[in-house]
Amino acid sequence: MSGHPAPARALGYLYVRTAVNRGRQQLQRLRSPRYLVALALGATYLWWALIRNTQGVESPLPGLVTSDGFGTVASLLLLLSAARWWLFDADRGALAFTPAEVHFLFAAPVSRRTLILARLLRLQLAILANTVVLTVLLRAGAGNLAAWQRALALWTLFSTVAIHRLGAAIVRRSAATEGLVGVRRHGGALLVFGAMAIALGIGLFDAVAAGRAASAGGVRELVSVLVDALQAPLPAAALQPATWLLAPVTAAGRAPWGAAMVPALLLLLGHVAWVLRLDRGFEEAALEASRYRAERLLRLRSAQPGMQRSRRGALTAIPPLPVWGPPEMAIVWKNVAAALRGGSWRSQLLLMVGIMTVLGTVGIRMARGVDEAVYGMITVWAIMMLFLGPLWLRTDLRLDLPRLDQLKSLPIPGWRLVAAEIVTVTVLHSISVWTLLALPFVLALVDPAALAGRLPGAPLVVAAALGVPAINALQFTIHNGMALLFPAWVRLGAEPRGIEVLGQNLLTTGAATFVAAVALVFPVGVTALVLWLADAGEGWGLAAAVFAGSLLLLLELWPVLHWLGEHFETMDPREVAATG
Amino acid sequence: MIEVEGFRKTYGDHVAVHALDLTVAPGSVLGLVGPNGAGKTTTLRALAGILRPTSGTIRIAGIDLATDPVTAKARLAFIPDEPQLFDYLTVEEHLQFSARLYGVPDAAGRIAALLGELDLTDKRQALPGELSRGMKQKLAIGCGLLHQPQVLLLDEPLTGLDPVGIRRMKATISARARDGAAVILSSHLLHLVEELCTHLLVIRRGEAVAWGTIADIRAGHPELAGESLEALFLALTA
Repeated sequence: MSGHPAPARALGYLYVRTAVNRGRQQLQRLRSPRYLVALALGATYLWWALIRNTQGVESPLPGLVTSDGFGTVASLLLLLSAARWWLFDADRGALAFTPAEVHFLFAAPVSRRTLILARLLRLQLAILANTVVLTVLLRAGAGNLAAWQRALALWTLFSTVAIHRLGAAIVRRSAATEGLVGVRRHGGALLVFGAMAIALGIGLFDAVAAGRAASAGGVRELVSVLVDALQAPLPAAALQPATWLLAPVTAAGRAPWGAAMVPALLLLLGHVAWVLRLDRGFEEAALEASRYRAERLLRLRSAQPGMQRSRRGALTAIPPLPVWGPPEMAIVWKNVAAALRGGSWRSQLLLMVGIMTVLGTVGIRMARGVDEAVYGMITVWAIMMLFLGPLWLRTDLRLDLPRLDQLKSLPIPGWRLVAAEIVTVTVLHSISVWTLLALPFVLALVDPAALAGRLPGAPLVVAAALGVPAINALQFTIHNGMALLFPAWVRLGAEPRGIEVLGQNLLTTGAATFVAAVALVFPVGVTALVLWLADAGEGWGLAAAVFAGSLLLLLELWPVLHWLGEHFETMDPREVAATG
Repeated sequence: MIEVEGFRKTYGDHVAVHALDLTVAPGSVLGLVGPNGAGKTTTLRALAGILRPTSGTIRIAGIDLATDPVTAKARLAFIPDEPQLFDYLTVEEHLQFSARLYGVPDAAGRIAALLGELDLTDKRQALPGELSRGMKQKLAIGCGLLHQPQVLLLDEPLTGLDPVGIRRMKATISARARDGAAVILSSHLLHLVEELCTHLLVIRRGEAVAWGTIADIRAGHPELAGESLEALFLALTA
């Protein structure tokens, strides 16, 4: 099928009009004082946090990007991501069109190449947004590059990765649906990727062997050994494409940037040429991916993604519906079912426990110092979970709001329904964090002698047990509140993953962090006051101080819940429908 | 009993529903008809307590929806045209969930009876993703009927049902009305309205253009004597 200029123009019209209308719709929302004030506050905060507050200050992020070994480790991670797309069919979304696009475009006289081009162009919206956000974040101090140079490097990186994902998805789906014919058709690509995987595997195998010998030196030594092993000729060759892509981003100056951009751009052009030639099998693969996406969206509009039945067809068991308590218990039960059957919470918990247990056990047995690093990782991870948890666990109003009609027709007062939604995720996420914090005690069972005297005392445990749910309640209240107050700006229901949502997540997290910081002023003040009065930085004085701070935080949330409940009751379903 | 006095809903300058008055007595079935965008769904949503009226009062079983929404909602069921189900609850779990929300006594017995009535017994362990459109619709209707509401609000209730399902649904609606429920159903299927409804409310651009029994409305338009309900509808909404 040959391409037609008219369909190409129609596609251009579709995407341009879509972008313009979406932008216009967002601007129209600013007629509402609520959105206008939020925009002003958000813009002020972002300006302060990303620009004003970092002027003249050495930000750790650019330093990290240009540090020794970063390029090698980042290349490895990039290649591992690609391996996931190639081996596990994990990225069908890269191919998917919306139902409307399938309806209008696939039956229309549009060439396959034009369809692929359309997909590539649509990806640019997300890529450009992410490029802008990361350019701002990386702007201070990294390599003396101008903003446009940094932006071009990031755009090249994101575009190539996105095109690679698309190509991998086409080849993978084609091989899956056409069997040997599909494999033969894409033999070249599969061969190249297979050779890279083998070369990298050899490098990692050598790294493991060298790592055992160097384990006594601790984590830094292990990382250094890994980097050295990956810089050997064979694995370095496997990592070379990823290294070319990352080199302009990590360039330490304008001259190296210029030299690094040439292979990066050539790689981008090569990817474009490769994907545009992958027209055979594209429609089938795209249709299949679109159907999968539509089903997933349907699931996501009411639930979390994931398998609800095992391969044998068994349904994940959920606790029985409590017969006691108010009707809101049914909402809590429903959300627990979503978390258990949806997969994200359960997988997160299992993954976390698995990784930490393996690392901790290996660390204790292999190397002095690694166990301390695991402690550090547990602490950092727990803090990260406290602040990023609401981005991972969304079985609350953010998933239920697309069914606002149904929620509002329930015989439950608004504030109690909002509270039930928030309490469920707060408890579930607290269980995750508590599990993580309990791991050192479990690991101590492996080798009590190695960890003797380094486990936290009872007061610290009590303080964490009290503080974690309070912080979680605050975080989930903020995120649910944002969904209620600004449904047009918060992703409701469906939640695509990957770099597409990086920018949005950064902005949402930034806004939530700002609100959390304001909300924490008095509780932290009270905690500090009690600590000062108790004249102790540790011991039971700490537990008492955290208790006081947590109590004040929960008291602060009480009127907020009522206010959000009142807003829920007056909320017009059209506000939510308009976001779909 | 549904009592609506001076219900008005506006969105900015746009008036979705003008001052609307109506009463639906227990045992009556009111057909709400009108062209697309006439304000039918807005009216139903307001009656279900989903939208707050700009002005006017709505009473469900004698309870003011604005002052005591929880008690009023406990006496009604709203079944939207698009079934809204939780993807992670099975058919039976949906019914248990609804029973718990509305405090249904002897839930197990009623659930079993409803599953049979709706021909969903074999699908009790199925997730919504494993159901056809019609089965989803039946389940949504079952969840609405479980607590034996005094007021039943149905938005296009027959969408997606097969002929057997349509017959059963019509029987179910009639049976609920005979048991004393006040029913409002919105539909574009005028033969269904004619068959099931005791009263008719025709709205156009948010205004009631005809209200009463079908016979009364016909009597008010002698020039259309002998014509079908479709002809009457077209004349009223032109």
